[in-house]
Parts: sequence; structure tokens; C-alpha cells
Amino acid sequence: MKFIHQTYGRFLPVLCSLLVLQSCSKNFQEINTNPDAVSSPTPQYIFSKALYDGITNSGNTQSLLLGHMQYTTSYNDVAGFGSKYVAAQQSQSASVFANSYSTQINEIGEVIKAVKDNATQVNLYAVARIWKVFCYSRLTDLYGDIPYSQAGQGYNNSVFQPVYDAQKDIYADLLKELDAAAQALNPANTTTFGAADLVYGGNSLQWKKFAYSLMMRLGMRMTKIDAAAAQSWVTKAITGGVITSYTDIAKVSYAGSGQDINKNPMALNMLNSDYIKADGLNNTEGGKYQQSFIDSLKNNNDPRLSVISVVYQSGVANSTPVVQKGLPATINGVKPADFGTYSEPKQSTVLRVDAPMLIFTAAESYFLLAEAALKNWYAAETASALYEKGVRAAMQQWDLSSGVAGTITSIQTDAYVAAHPITGKGSSVENQLEQIYTQFWMGIFPDAQEVFNNYRRTGYPKLVPNNYPGNATNGQFFRRFLYPVVEQTLNTNSYKAAVARQGADIFLTRIWWDK
Amino acid sequence: MRIKTRTNLLIPLFSSFCIGSAFAGHTQEIAGNGYKPVYAVSRNTEQNEPMVISLKDAINELKSFYKIKIAYKEGLLNSKMVAASVTTVFKNMDAEAALKHLFTNTTLSYKKIGNNQFSVFESRTTDMPATGVTVLSVPIRGKITAARDGSSLPKVTISLKYYPVVAVVSDESGNFNLLVPDELKDKSLVLIISSVGYTTKEIKVTDPQQAITVQLDESNKELGEVVVTALGIKKSSRSLTYSTTEIKGSDFTQARENNVANALTGKVAGVNATGISTGPGGSSRVVIRGNGSLTGNSQPLYVINGMPIDNSVPGGSATPNGITTNVDRGDGMGAINPDDIESITVLKGGTAAALYGSRGANGVILITTKKGRAQSGIGVEYNSTLTMENVSVFPDFQYQYGQGDGGIKPTTLLAAQASGRRSFGAKIDGSTDYVAADGLTHPYSAQRDNLKHFYETGNTFTNSIALSGGNESILYRLSLSDLNSKSILPNSKYNRKTANLNLSAKLSDRLRIESVIQYSLETAKNRSTAGDALGNPNWTPYEVANTVDIRWLNPGYDSKGNEVIWNDAAIASNSYFVVNKHQESDDKNRFIGQASISYDLLKNLTFKGTITRDFYNYNYTNILPTGSAYTPLGEYAGIKSDVSETNSMLTATYTTKIANKFGISVLAGANGRNYTEKRFNLTGKNYIQPYFYSFSNLATSSTTPYTGRIKTNSVFGSVDFDYKRILFLTGTGRQDWFSTLSSNNNSIFYPSVGLSFILSDAVRLPAVVSLAKIRASWAQVGGGGPDPYAINLTYSSVPSNSAVPLQNVTSSIITNTQLKPFTSTTTEIGINLQLFKNRAGIDLAVYDRKSTNDIVSVPISTTSGYSNAILNSGELSNKGIEVLLTVVPVKTSGFSWDMSFNMAYNKSEVLKLADGISTFSLGNSANGNAFINNNVGHTYGAIYGYRMLKDVKGNTIFDTNAGLPAQTDINQELGKGVPPLTMGFTSEFKYKAFSLSWLIDGKFGNKVFSVMEVYATRLGLLKSTLPGRETGLVLTGVTPAGAAYTKTIPVADLRSAYYNSLNRYTELFVHDGSFVKLRQVIISYNIPVSKFKLLRIQSASIALVGRNLLTFYKKTDNFDPEQSLTNGPAQGIESIGLPRTRSYGVNLLLKF
Repeated sequence: MKFIHQTYGRFLPVLCSLLVLQSCSKNFQEINTNPDAVSSPTPQYIFSKALYDGITNSGNTQSLLLGHMQYTTSYNDVAGFGSKYVAAQQSQSASVFANSYSTQINEIGEVIKAVKDNATQVNLYAVARIWKVFCYSRLTDLYGDIPYSQAGQGYNNSVFQPVYDAQKDIYADLLKELDAAAQALNPANTTTFGAADLVYGGNSLQWKKFAYSLMMRLGMRMTKIDAAAAQSWVTKAITGGVITSYTDIAKVSYAGSGQDINKNPMALNMLNSDYIKADGLNNTEGGKYQQSFIDSLKNNNDPRLSVISVVYQSGVANSTPVVQKGLPATINGVKPADFGTYSEPKQSTVLRVDAPMLIFTAAESYFLLAEAALKNWYAAETASALYEKGVRAAMQQWDLSSGVAGTITSIQTDAYVAAHPITGKGSSVENQLEQIYTQFWMGIFPDAQEVFNNYRRTGYPKLVPNNYPGNATNGQFFRRFLYPVVEQTLNTNSYKAAVARQGADIFLTRIWWDK
Repeated sequence: MRIKTRTNLLIPLFSSFCIGSAFAGHTQEIAGNGYKPVYAVSRNTEQNEPMVISLKDAINELKSFYKIKIAYKEGLLNSKMVAASVTTVFKNMDAEAALKHLFTNTTLSYKKIGNNQFSVFESRTTDMPATGVTVLSVPIRGKITAARDGSSLPKVTISLKYYPVVAVVSDESGNFNLLVPDELKDKSLVLIISSVGYTTKEIKVTDPQQAITVQLDESNKELGEVVVTALGIKKSSRSLTYSTTEIKGSDFTQARENNVANALTGKVAGVNATGISTGPGGSSRVVIRGNGSLTGNSQPLYVINGMPIDNSVPGGSATPNGITTNVDRGDGMGAINPDDIESITVLKGGTAAALYGSRGANGVILITTKKGRAQSGIGVEYNSTLTMENVSVFPDFQYQYGQGDGGIKPTTLLAAQASGRRSFGAKIDGSTDYVAADGLTHPYSAQRDNLKHFYETGNTFTNSIALSGGNESILYRLSLSDLNSKSILPNSKYNRKTANLNLSAKLSDRLRIESVIQYSLETAKNRSTAGDALGNPNWTPYEVANTVDIRWLNPGYDSKGNEVIWNDAAIASNSYFVVNKHQESDDKNRFIGQASISYDLLKNLTFKGTITRDFYNYNYTNILPTGSAYTPLGEYAGIKSDVSETNSMLTATYTTKIANKFGISVLAGANGRNYTEKRFNLTGKNYIQPYFYSFSNLATSSTTPYTGRIKTNSVFGSVDFDYKRILFLTGTGRQDWFSTLSSNNNSIFYPSVGLSFILSDAVRLPAVVSLAKIRASWAQVGGGGPDPYAINLTYSSVPSNSAVPLQNVTSSIITNTQLKPFTSTTTEIGINLQLFKNRAGIDLAVYDRKSTNDIVSVPISTTSGYSNAILNSGELSNKGIEVLLTVVPVKTSGFSWDMSFNMAYNKSEVLKLADGISTFSLGNSANGNAFINNNVGHTYGAIYGYRMLKDVKGNTIFDTNAGLPAQTDINQELGKGVPPLTMGFTSEFKYKAFSLSWLIDGKFGNKVFSVMEVYATRLGLLKSTLPGRETGLVLTGVTPAGAAYTKTIPVADLRSAYYNSLNRYTELFVHDGSFVKLRQVIISYNIPVSKFKLLRIQSASIALVGRNLLTFYKKTDNFDPEQSLTNGPAQGIESIGLPRTRSYGVNLLLKF
């Protein structure tokens, strides 16, 4: 060893000077700086990304929940998983969880980190908090207990195995956050996300309405498990002011061209997975509208049927209600000979990639308010009136998605409203509730996730689950989605604790508010 | 002109450049007294002594030795060579006698013109040299050839035993004419025939009138030889303190692998070379002594002529579960032409590689390229190989029940399309109402040969020509090579052209230069994908229903060019559509340039500067065409990249001897490494104008740039010390500075020491022991992070066409500001025994290798907001034993038999990942049912997945909701992904001009998860899906509560309710991956060209060659256990890649 050092002593200076190694680590920092990236974030840009991602990574953008709530199906048992619950495909349900944390959850965390301590950016902070609540609520409603308090802290706090928080605690915090954010919003302060706010363009008043609407939605979620808390939050939300006008609908607009991220993610997914050929025959994954949905629209003379549905006849799209026909969900892997005669989503409405995504509609508010009125938590209007407003709002909003093609005339709406009073299924509170959430199913389409949430809470609409060979649920609807299997490996202890608390990681385990 | 020392004279003639010569200098053992100087030289081959030197050098040496002056006409001595041995006898005679001796076999004469002055001139006649030596009226004539291929051997020294002054050197054709002094006429004459690299032979002259033909055998791998070690330094192998293995280039040029690295399989103990089944132009995976890094970046460093080259796969390795663009794009080694390889030395790690620093941590594969040789005229070598290949492994499917579902065969087109890949139909009965996906009626009968029908006979035609030559001041070799491969996959091709120029020159006595320039152009078309279904051309032949003749699906597209549907899932592409319409193409232009200058400041102090640049430009496009069933509007993926690795190195070597007992040699050097990758990833979808495939024709497209830059600066040194050439001590040290690490902690020093002891020279051992050597070494190497920009969190913009810009964190990998160097420590001991005059040898090595502070990008729960975290705390242990046995059972002049057996066992254990983290996933199968994980406390790269849940009595516990066996959790260890035990057995017979050699190799102890079997189960192709076909399947087990459970699955639901769901139980598809294969057979014949005098051919040989001919033993029924699809770390997953093949062909070698 000694010799080595002697050797060094002799040659080192010569070598270094010859190689012009003035310092052996000169310029290293510059070399190790990525020329294609910046070192400090722009919260506005990240916020826009978080908005896009929060919408894209939801239970709606895969056809899974659309199938589950019996809007769509496929003869193919892989793509038809949502309507068939095939055990072999159960891991499909994990993808929302798997995709969300490294996208919208990470991004909204970065936004909050950047704006949180800046007094002038109080509106930015408040809006980011509201969006964070939206993102987490979508997740926990699908899975139950999820990482929340420690989630997204991989970089900031080196938390690599976040614990799963009980849904009860998550809900408590989400509601608290909404409350705080709604109160913090200051319309007088003009520092906002501005154009980066793809929902309201920096309108703090509208964000306040969105916050209270979410509060009403989440409050209502607890009707089964904790009615008192539900009432308290719903009342608070209504007092704060929820979205009830067409102009306040929370939505994100999309472009028809350019990058995928700029396109309506539900429409894009449906197009890419099935309907891009627009001929009714070559549907890639064998997708069609499901029988129960089309039958229901048809039986109720629903004017929306021709807005959303087509049958291709000799390559021509025909929206006439009489030709519409839904595909049974029980087809066992064989493309039916009359596949071309079944209804599928309309290119000019449901499949428009430049249509906005509606994330909280006036219709939803009215239906929730109607339920609140039924429960005597809200007395300013009758349940019947609120329900009717809900039905009308649900009809009206189709023109947002589809312009002229989706405009439903007031005559059509009036006729439909007259034929479908809140007492349509009977006059008891339960009957009226059923009527509200049956309309919710027909009216809120394609937001299958909210339909699924309210179905689990209220039991409506009364859909008959499919009993397909090899299904994982003994012919029953899911009550939740499965965690990604890698959580068993990468987050073992947290996963085990969640399963021990919530119940087995299977479709039929009920989450906290569904108990 | 200054007086040259002998050492310096020799340098340009050899590959041993500055450093090598310095070592050679102190290892010389020229017998200074006694009577047998020639032996001393010829036996001492370990120093790579030349057998000839130029006459001019010899005269110069004579001048300096006797301090005389010699005058001669300019140019008189040019191109004249003499046996090197002549100079060794000078000291035994006076100057005049020495001169006389020197001119023995030349046409030169001398005249003494003063006390210490001579003049040299051309004598009038060759018959009667003016020296006055009387010669035999008939000289001894003869020819020397190589036993291996019958080629003529020039420059072989032929001398008389006991009269070494009588010597001659064979000419270019191997012929010699030895003039024997008259006074020896009546004595019994014995010729000693010796040449570098060949075993010295003694031939008794029975009839001096008769021409003698002598075949020389290449010298065995004895301890006497010289081995190329780190930085290209040549050392005598007796001095090595660690295990290395050298393979001659000729081992790669007969039975060829396109990728030379694949040809290492079975040849070297401890080297696990995995052939990747991705077709011609595919990459290789070589792991030495176990995976050394948790990230799987465990492949060795490849070095050409002492300088590192790049071995990356452009755009990264394929993954086990990718789709469409998941092709093996080929690695850096794929561009190396085996004809240019002189030898490959495997430095197995530790001390051997310590001088290379971090990148040598996983061992180093040193490639020495061929150089020119001094000779008159131009040497021409032509090598041509044609090989054919066919699918060699076929699945063992069931052929009792044919296409269909629920026990019913299809009788309509729709039913046929729905069940195109399902074999749950009726009993195969030859009935004629069966309709297949082509819409036609066919007999309902088994189709067993779909692999044979779909895949073609592949072929590879390689032609190389090399020109070489030179003189004492300049040597050159230029080779041109063309390799043309047609895959077994229709329309899939690969072409490689290489040009390699090696120039070396001695500019003055002290100044030498060398340069190697290699250019290669690789072009590939339609490489096969593997992994998941979409775009995988192997999907249909493996998964089509068993009553379908796959050719019914040809050509796979309709009149518009759109994919023809053949099954229920559009994602499972029609393979004919893939091979006919998908378009993959790539080309790689690569340039490797090396230039070095070395200068002897003093006789024993040499400086050398080298600059190497390995640069490639790569273009890749992968077009998913318009009309694909799954992606009707098409997709586009492309990579354009420029990658370069530049190294600048300066070394100084100093050699001396103390008191004739101690040899010391010292090396010091510095290196600067610059690595740059500039890449654009192009992606897009939806061709605006259908069927027109241009990046400009995409409705949605984006271009993402990536620039990666890494710099590493190093200083290093080594010292070699020996005592009487019995005890050798080596020490090295190196300090590296890494740009990829935290600036607070970016440097590391690491040392190595090694000891070698020649027991047989130190003490008297039994006569059977020719050599006994004990060696031990300890080494540490350290390294920086493999990727740049791993220190700080950054933000990047996201391609977007909306009015608002989008941004997010650049990477889903958590950066680490504290990143510090990792270390890898190896301890190795070994013994080497040569017995029975080197007829048997044993080389045994035991090693313990431990990596600490490994820099690992650990997959973490995505709920952290990130997918991975770069941690700096991994610990991994590899321990193993390697054995090499060599035996020469028979060795006579006409017949010889050589055998060699190697075996290695490596035990790996993941000791630590990071606090609280116990799993590191390297990859997973399509559909995510099998994972390759590194779990703490377990072996590296094991297979994990689900088992069926059983109770204590072994009953299957059923999930009563699903009506299926319940799953365990996913963390069940199901087997090792990497075989711990590997062996190779070679045997070579030589009989006169014939030789036969074979290589049998085996790997044992690993498991393979088969995705092909998963699908073949879900689709009813495997024999294991036969139960229940007639009357339904009765499942029995227990409920979770322990009550008896029975369920009957009716025939109609057999697939959908049961077999389709068996993918949930990973264990069902995990099989023992052990095998023994006949890897290689070569039968060659040296054509006796001398009899034909044809075209001035010096030698010619023809060989019949075969690779992967037979599998003697395997446990997998349906696939080849070597069916790997990626050269990445996740080994142990088969995923419907290109089937394995056997190849056979013919090789022709001609020398002019």
C-alpha cells in the first residue's frame, strides 16, 4: 500500500497537468444538470396538469364503471369485465389507484408546496386544496381506505410506504379542507390561477360554489353510516351556496386536436378502445351500449336516447329511437351475428374529443338537494321542485357536450318532466328516492362513478347484476375496487393494516360509508 | 543512432505495447550460462518473445555487445530476418565468430577491416558463403504447418539440438532450408522447431535427403503463457493473482453467433451468458459471478484493446410485458465482427478489473483485435460461413379437442372468429362442417405443425476478408466483413457491415503509435417483438386453435390492407398481418476510433497516451399500420439518438530489477471519461392520410428530447513486485470522481492487493506436478450512479396544444441529493495445478463478492407520488466456486484428444435494500401475475406470484364467490430466475487434418414462468386443460370456513368459468428451467492445399458447424428454458418470443 502512495506522489502532478485536470471534478455540477428541465416549478403550469390528470385518472375513463353501471358492455370478456366481473380480469380495477398518485396527487402536492406560504396567493392555495379534495374523494370512494395523510410525500418527507388512512378519517379531513378552503377564497384578491385554471378561469366565487357542492356530495355520502354528520355537512354546504346554474357547472374544456392530454379523456378512451372506425362493425373491443340502459331510455321515451345513441345501418349512423338496441352483457365471448345492429355512443356527442368534461353539474346538485329536501335537511324548496329542476338541468347540459346535436328542446323536456314526476314510482320517501336516483343514472351519464357512488349508498337505480360464468362476485355488483397487487409487495405492512381494518381486498367488501 | 536495448527492439513486432513491453522487460529469463540458450528462448513463451528479429537489429545488438563498428551499404540489411536465438549466444564467442554465426544462412559475407571494425557485403553466390563454412551438399529441407488448420507457418525457428548456432527461419510458405555444417555430417541430428504460440517440437533427422513436414500444435493453456489484463497490460499468467480466462478468436469464427457475447455460453466458468431469443441482431446478456448490482445493471464492461466501449441498447432493453414497440434493438457487442478478434479475456472481477474502477465491478471482457504481422507481401485471409436455422422446440399441446368453445366447434365465420384461439371445441373427428376464421370449410382435424408452417428456415451468410502485413516499422491489418441474416420470422432481416483498420508504427526507437478504426453499419428490418400480445408476431403460431392451419390466415390483410380478424381479441394480432404490414426498421452507424502514442523516456520508463471514441448514430422507427384491428388508425414510435463515449488516458510505466532477484514494475495513469447521449423520442398516432407512414402524417405527435451527460475523472496506479519469479505481489489503487454524484461526496479511492505463489518452484514436489500455484486477492471497487440528474428534483414541460402550458416533475423517480459512491468488494483465492507434464490441469477459484451502498432505483409504492426512489444503501452478496479441469488424454503426432470441463456455482443473497424496504421488483410478466423481485434475505431475481390457497391438510380452499380456488398473497417465492449452477464441457479430437469438437453446456437450479402456457391454458391448448371436456369438471375443496366444497363446471362454461381464470395462480406456470444442451459441434478438415499449388493458397480449411443442436435434458414441455426475451435484469419469464432455433452450416477459411 505504501508503495502505491509513493507512486502517486511521483506521477500525479505530471498526469494531472497533462490532462489539464485542474480540478478533478470541475464543471461536474453543470454536466449533471439536465438541459431539458428547470429546477423551480411554475405552480400555474403544474396546476393545469393536475386538473387534466385528476379528470383523466378516474373510474370513468376506463369502460369498467360504464359497464358496471350497465351503460355499456362487450361480448369480449376482457373488455366486458365491468359488466361481467370475470375473476381472471379482476386486476383491471386497480389501475385508477395505480395511476393517480404519481400524477394528480403528486402535482397538486407540488402546487400546494409552491403557493402555500405566500400570503398573496391565498386563492391559489385554496383552489389547489379544493382540487386535492376532489382527487382524493374520487379515489377513496372507489377503494375505501387509501393512503392519504402520508401519501405523495415520497420526495418531501421520504415516505415510501404511506399508511392507509381509514376512510372515515379521510372524509373528516376532506370536509374540513373544503370548509377551510371555501372560507379562505377571497374574491377581492385578484391573484388567481387565471388562464391556468381550466375550470373557472380564476373565478373565486365559482370555486367557492364548487367547494360547497363537493361538500354536499361528500356529506351526502355519509347518509348510511353517520346521518347526523351527513346532515350537518350538507346543511353547511347548502348554506355556503352550491352550483345550481348552468353557467356555474364545473367543467374542463378540451381541444379536438393536438396531444391526447388536450382531448376529452372519456371520449378519447371510448373512441380508441372501440368506436374509432365508426361503422358499428369493427368495434375493437366489441363495445356497445348495454341492454338495460337502452331499454330504460326507450321505455321512458327519453329524448336523450337519440342524442347519445346510434345504430349504424349500411355504414350510416341512425339515431332514431326505434332502431336503438342494447347488447346483453351475458354474451360468452362470441361476437353476435347481428353485432352491427346494436346501439353505440354517438360520434357527435358522447364521443366528441373536444367536448368539455363535466365534473360537477347543476343537475347533480338538484338531485342531491331533492334528497336533502326529502330528508327535511333543506326546506327552501320542495323535493319535487328540486327533482324537476334536476331533470331539466340534466337535459339542458347535453348541449355543453355536443352543441346543436345535443340540444334537447323545451317541448321534449316538458313532456319528459310531465311523464316522470318524483312520485313516478310511488309516493313514499323511499319511492321518491328511487325516482331521484333512477333519474340520476339516466341524467348524469356518462359520470358512471357518481352513479356507482350513489347506487351503493341508496341502492338505486335498481339494476339487476349479471351472473356471468367465472365471475368473481357470485353474480353481485362490486362494492369497491381492488388495490394494485404491487401494494402487497411494496407497501406490505400498510396494505395488511388496511385489509385488517376494512376487510378482505375483494370486490364485495363494503367501504366505510357503504356499511 | 543510439544503441538500442533488446527489449526495445522487440516492441513493434508484438501486440505488447508500451506497458506490455515494460512487463516483458522484467520477466525475461535469458539463460546467461550453460549450453542451451535456444531452449531458454523458445520455452519462455510467457514473455511473448519473438522468434525472429530483423538482421539489422541483430547487428546493432552485436555492435553494442562487442563495442565494434560494422559498415554496410544502405538498404543491404532490409527485410532480412534472423532467428532471435542467434543473439543469445554472442557472449559465448568472440565478435568474429558471432558475425559468422549471424550470417550462417544468409547470402552475406563480412570482412574484418580493423581491430574493432568489420564491413558487410553481399557475397557472390549463395551456395558458397564467404564465411567458409562447409555445408552438406544437400541441406535439410522441410515445411512447417499448423496442426489446427494445416496452414503454412512462417517464421518458425528451426535449429539443431546441441548446435544452436545452426538455425534458420521458415519462409512465408513455411518452407525451410537448414544448412548443416559439414563437421556435423555424421552426428545424429535433432531439429528443434519452435514458434510463438506453438508447442516446441523435436524431430530426429533420419534421412537428411528427405523433406520433413512438421505440424506444430498450438500451445496449451499452460501457465507459461501471457495473458492480457486490465488496460491491455500483458502479464505472464503465473504472476496473476486472480482468475482470468482467455479464449482465442478462432473459437468464435467457425460456429458463429451473430453476437459474439452469446458465444461465451458454456465456455468460461462463472460466466453466465444467456442467449436471447429475439432473432438475428439481438442483444446478449452476460453476467459474471452473479448479478452484482441490485438494479440489474450487472453486465460486464466491454473493452477493446484496453479501452472501454459502449454496450447499451438504444432506447433501453425490452421489458417482459411490453407491447408493439417492445423489440430487442440490439446491444453494442452486436457490432463486433468475430473475425477481427484475436482473443477475448474474461476478467472475472475484483482485482482483475480493479484498474477499470467502477465499471469493472461486474467484471471486464477484454477484446484484443487482430493486428498486422511483419512479413513480405500481403497476407490475405478469407472466411465465409453459411448457416441455416430452424425452430427447435415445439410445444406439447393437446390434439383431442379442437377449435371452439363450450364443447362446440364453429360452423359459422363469426363463431370461428370468436374462437379463433380457443380449443375448447368438440372432439376432433375430421368432420367436414367446420368453418375456420378464413370463412372456409375445412376438415376438423389436428394441425400440429403451425410453428413449422409459420416460421421459415433462417439463414446467415457471413463473408470476411482481411489483408495484413507490414515491416519492422509499420504493421497494418484491414478487414471488411458483411453479415446477412434472414430470421426464421418471415420478412425479418438483419445486415451488418464492418470495416476494421489497425495500424501500428514504430516512428523511432522510442516513439510508437497505434490506431484502430472500426466502422460498422447495422440495419435491421421487422425485428420480432415479445411480451404482450399487440404486434407480437409469435402470438398466432403459438395460440391459434389446434385445428387451424395457420396458413389459412395468410396474408392477414384484406384488399384494403386492413387486418383480418382471426380471434375475439383484437389486441392479439394476426401474425401474418404483423409480418406483412407492421414496419420496424433500425439502423446504427457506429464508429470506434482509438489512437495511442507511446514514448520511452528512459529505457524502462514509458509514457503512453490514448484517446478512444465510440460513437453511434441510431435511427429507429416502428410503425403500427393503418388498418390494425386494435389500433385502426395506426401508431408511430421512433428514436433518433447519438451516443458517444470518449476516454482519454495517459499512463506511465516503469520497470526495474533489483539485485537480480526482485522485479518491480510500476504503473500510474489518469483517465477522463465523457459519455453523452442525445436522443429524441418520437411518438404519434392516427395517420391522417391512411396507409402513408410518415411522422409528418400523424394527427397527434410529439417529440421528446433527452440529453444525458456523464463525466468521470480518474487517477490510478499499480505496482507489481516479484521475488525470483516465485512470489508475485500486485497492488492497485484508483481514485474516481463522478459527475453523477452529490458534489459533497463524489469521489472514492479504492485499492486492491493480490498474491501469487509458485509452490512448485519453491519446494520440490512430486514429479507428476508440473506446476502448482496458489493465489489470493482482495479488491475493492467503487462507482457512481449510472444515470445523470439523479441528485435534484426538476420540472419539465409536458407536450400540450392547449393555450396553457403544462408542467410536472421530470421523473417519477425520487432524486437523492446525498448520493455517494457504492463499493463492491471481492475476495478470491484459487489454486492452479498442472499435472503429468501439463497433460492435466485443475484451476479452482473461490470468491466472495459483496456490494455495499449500492445505488438502486427502488420501486416504491406509487402512493408516495413516485414510482421509484434512488437509494444508496443496497447490499448484495455473491459467493461462489469455479472449477476448470483440462485433460489431454491422448497426444501423439497424428492424433490428439483434449477435454475441458468447467463448472461454477454462485449463491446470491440480497442483504439489504433500504430501511423499511424489503422488495425490489425488477419486472413483471404481461398481465402482472408473475414478478421478478429482489427480496431481502433471498436470492437475486427470484420469481414471485400467487399460489392456490391450501389448508393444513393440503385441501384447496375455495373462494365461494368466484367458485374458484382462492389465491394466496402475491409474495410467494416460486423459484430462482437465474441459474446458480452452470457448466460447460468441451472435447476436441484431432486426427491428422481432421478435427471434431463439441461443447455441451448445462444450467441448473432456476425456474421459468411461461406466459405462453398461461394463454395456452386459458385457450385450451395445454394437455392440462383436458379434464372435464366430456362431462364437466368437478372441483372439490373446502370453503374458507373449512366445510367441504364441491362445484361442477359444465362443459359449456369450462373455459369461461374455470380454465380462463387459472392465470390467477402463478405457480401453475412456473417450471424448472434446468437443461443440458449440445451447444456446438464443429467438424473441420484442413484441405492439403500444398498438393494443389492452387491460387497461391497457403492453407484452407472447411468445417461443418452446428449450434444448439440437441437438448439432452430439460423439464419444460412446451418451450425452451432459454426462451428469454430481454437482456434486462428480469430473467425468468418466457413471454411468447421468437422460438429458439438450432443452426447448422459450413465454414470455409482460406489464407493466401
